[in-house]
Amino acid sequence: MTQPEKRKQPGYYPGFSTLSQQHSWDEATRRTVLQRMTHTREIRFFTSQEIPIITAVFDHVLPQSDRDPQYRIPIVPMVDERLYTNRIDGYRYEEMPPDQEAYRLGIAAIDEMARSIHDAPFVELAPLRQDELLRTLHDAKPQAAHSTWERMPVHRFWMLLVQDAAQVYYAHPYAWDEIGFGGPAYPRAYMRLERGEAEPWEVKEQRYEWQAPADSVSDRYELVGGHDEHRATPGQGGTH
Amino acid sequence: MNPLLSGLFNQRNQNGHALGPIQKIDVPMRRYGEEEVDYVVVGVGSAGGVLLQRLSRAGFRVLGMEAGPFWNTERDWVSDEAGSHNLYWEDLRITGGEHPLALGANNSGRGVGGGSVHWAAFAPRLHPSDFRIYSQDGVGVDWPISYQELKPYYEQLEMEMPVAGPAWYPWGDPHGYPYGPHPMGGVGNALIKGCTALGIGVSIGGPVAILSGSHGDRQHCIYRGFCIQACKVGAKASTLITHVPDALENGAEIRDNCMVGRIHLNRENRVTGVSYFDAQGNEHFQKAKAVIVSGYAIESPRLLLNSACPGHENGLANSSDAVGRYLMAQAGNVILGRFEQLVRMYKAPPAHCMTEDFYETDPKRDFARGFAIQTVAPLPIAFAKQMMMAKGAWGWGLRRVMMDYNHWASFGLLGEILPWPENRVQLAAEKDRFGLPVAKVTFTLRDNDKKLIEFGKKKVMDVMSAAGAEEVVQESRYAHLVGACRMGSDPRTSVVDKFCRTHDIANLFVCDGSVLPTQGSANPGLTIQALAARTADYLISQGDAVFNSGRRDMTAPPIRRELAPPGTYGRGIPRLTSSSQ
Repeated sequence: MTQPEKRKQPGYYPGFSTLSQQHSWDEATRRTVLQRMTHTREIRFFTSQEIPIITAVFDHVLPQSDRDPQYRIPIVPMVDERLYTNRIDGYRYEEMPPDQEAYRLGIAAIDEMARSIHDAPFVELAPLRQDELLRTLHDAKPQAAHSTWERMPVHRFWMLLVQDAAQVYYAHPYAWDEIGFGGPAYPRAYMRLERGEAEPWEVKEQRYEWQAPADSVSDRYELVGGHDEHRATPGQGGTH
Repeated sequence: MNPLLSGLFNQRNQNGHALGPIQKIDVPMRRYGEEEVDYVVVGVGSAGGVLLQRLSRAGFRVLGMEAGPFWNTERDWVSDEAGSHNLYWEDLRITGGEHPLALGANNSGRGVGGGSVHWAAFAPRLHPSDFRIYSQDGVGVDWPISYQELKPYYEQLEMEMPVAGPAWYPWGDPHGYPYGPHPMGGVGNALIKGCTALGIGVSIGGPVAILSGSHGDRQHCIYRGFCIQACKVGAKASTLITHVPDALENGAEIRDNCMVGRIHLNRENRVTGVSYFDAQGNEHFQKAKAVIVSGYAIESPRLLLNSACPGHENGLANSSDAVGRYLMAQAGNVILGRFEQLVRMYKAPPAHCMTEDFYETDPKRDFARGFAIQTVAPLPIAFAKQMMMAKGAWGWGLRRVMMDYNHWASFGLLGEILPWPENRVQLAAEKDRFGLPVAKVTFTLRDNDKKLIEFGKKKVMDVMSAAGAEEVVQESRYAHLVGACRMGSDPRTSVVDKFCRTHDIANLFVCDGSVLPTQGSANPGLTIQALAARTADYLISQGDAVFNSGRRDMTAPPIRRELAPPGTYGRGIPRLTSSSQ
């Protein structure tokens, strides 16, 4: 198998739809979530040279080729809006440039790495080569563009990419349906709190085996930058 | 679907539901204009809300300045992770050191209620030992007050929030909670199972400042799990709903969307007021007879440093060079376990079960002090970020582990990190939109901290395994922020005295988490509010002397229980044991 079967809704909760429950959400939440789904703002931060590169990058950082095209979750426009409106998370590492500059530097470095190692622009590389190249950022062992990575720690740039992608993808009701998250629950409560029991409007899990595409290297788990303590980075979740 | 099973109720109601903000807050417009007030409180968060309530009820003319908005909870708050960014202080700060802290959503609030709007609401007390760790363990520093001095205020604020939990809480100074414990969610069940298997005691259903029964005009918890996205239900305590309404009723003004940039000092070494930027960015001066800084552990020292003036070149109240130093965060490693059976951890409040069995120094361990273990329950975005850190997940691996979201449970380590002078808040070269230098935060762990974290995270991982998890991973992180304007008896090594008055300036106070000399392994929210109520009692006992005298009366005042918000005191709450001196 080279490619997971395309589905309207991947994941183990077939037919589960948080949006079908929007009648039980409060007005402010409904407005916020629906606006997110219809977001079609033009790209204002990324340049026309950068757009194809960053699009290809996010296609690997958070791949969606198993989704029917009309059920894919747009990542680039939301990241673009965050950068254009300068919505930051409340801090910047002292050795990092501002997020906007980090993206410009990082995109240029990724393309430079492709040209330097494979003699071709990043967007023209085969998917496996693209995945492998990005994997070197994950491992904090970039093979080229060293002058950029000396200015900007590669593992911090990598985490910025993964976090931005995750922040957009898992904010979307399609992703909630995929992972079986119940979504907004006010004013309606959750009543079945224990033993992982589903509410009557939730769906029972139905697992299946699937494989990542053969031309990918991201379906395995190794820590960012290995176990180097100097890569110590605080968690970003904000859970307590 | 059967309408009863769909979970909808009261469908004929036009709004589709009967819940919602049953508490109505009448927000007055400007009350004081530019005229002189008695107290300006900078920051209306956990401490600021309590201070405004107490001082207004005692008849003072008080004005709270809040950089963020006065929330309309039904309009502004959402049951949505990505839509809740405006609750957090997300303006730029620079973070560095060997173990840099994540700021923003992790630990800094914005808007009326401050951090109490987005805390998970665990509300344990400090232990008696926390107030004397230097005497007892030879580390950190002793507090200038004892546990017994703060105890009546713990009891009082546990009723005012109020706190739900077991009737018998065995750790520290044993006590019980006024509201009953909450039901368990999947993560709580895992913590109970793991602790019980290893012979570890566990507190079930609290202590957490979330209503397990309705309270006056506040609705009880509905277990929707969005606590740290602000409690739209009104079940979780925030000063926005516990203390601010009573403050407004008693004449306090809250000026929202106003960022204080500087505290002004006259030639007599007394503060005269603050200058601030309104929502349109226009600068104003507000006269006050005294100023209380309640901006939390980053913004409070930043404001003092930004208020440097001739004679105080290093910042106000900083003759000790302690302003900004001894900043603390708690070790907050998240330990995640995958279970064969479903957990669905998004249901129930993240905070509902914990243990303090490892809280105290144990001579058998190779470090001083200890830690707590608590339930945490990340929603999908937070969980994805944790999987990035804990497993190195990205790409297809991230998609795969996220499809298993409902199989994971997570516990939080909450460990005491000691106060170090090098861990500090300074001013950076960058400026914010008002032209004010932003904060630069430096944080580095020392030997004791590292040993504690190493031991603690392994212990929590053991508990997760004992609960039946087949895979256990963890991410390093930190929780809460305190210190940076610490209280102490010695003006050479601390910023404020035991009543939160700055050593250097008689009518300038700092009252919030930044005054904590050490932090224990307890979530700081309750302690901050208890200290604020105690400070208010002191200020009230001093009357006008604060405004026109330099005399520093160090007599502790009696607790003024009658100043509690109506309906929160004397409602048949059990075991109120401390006498009011």
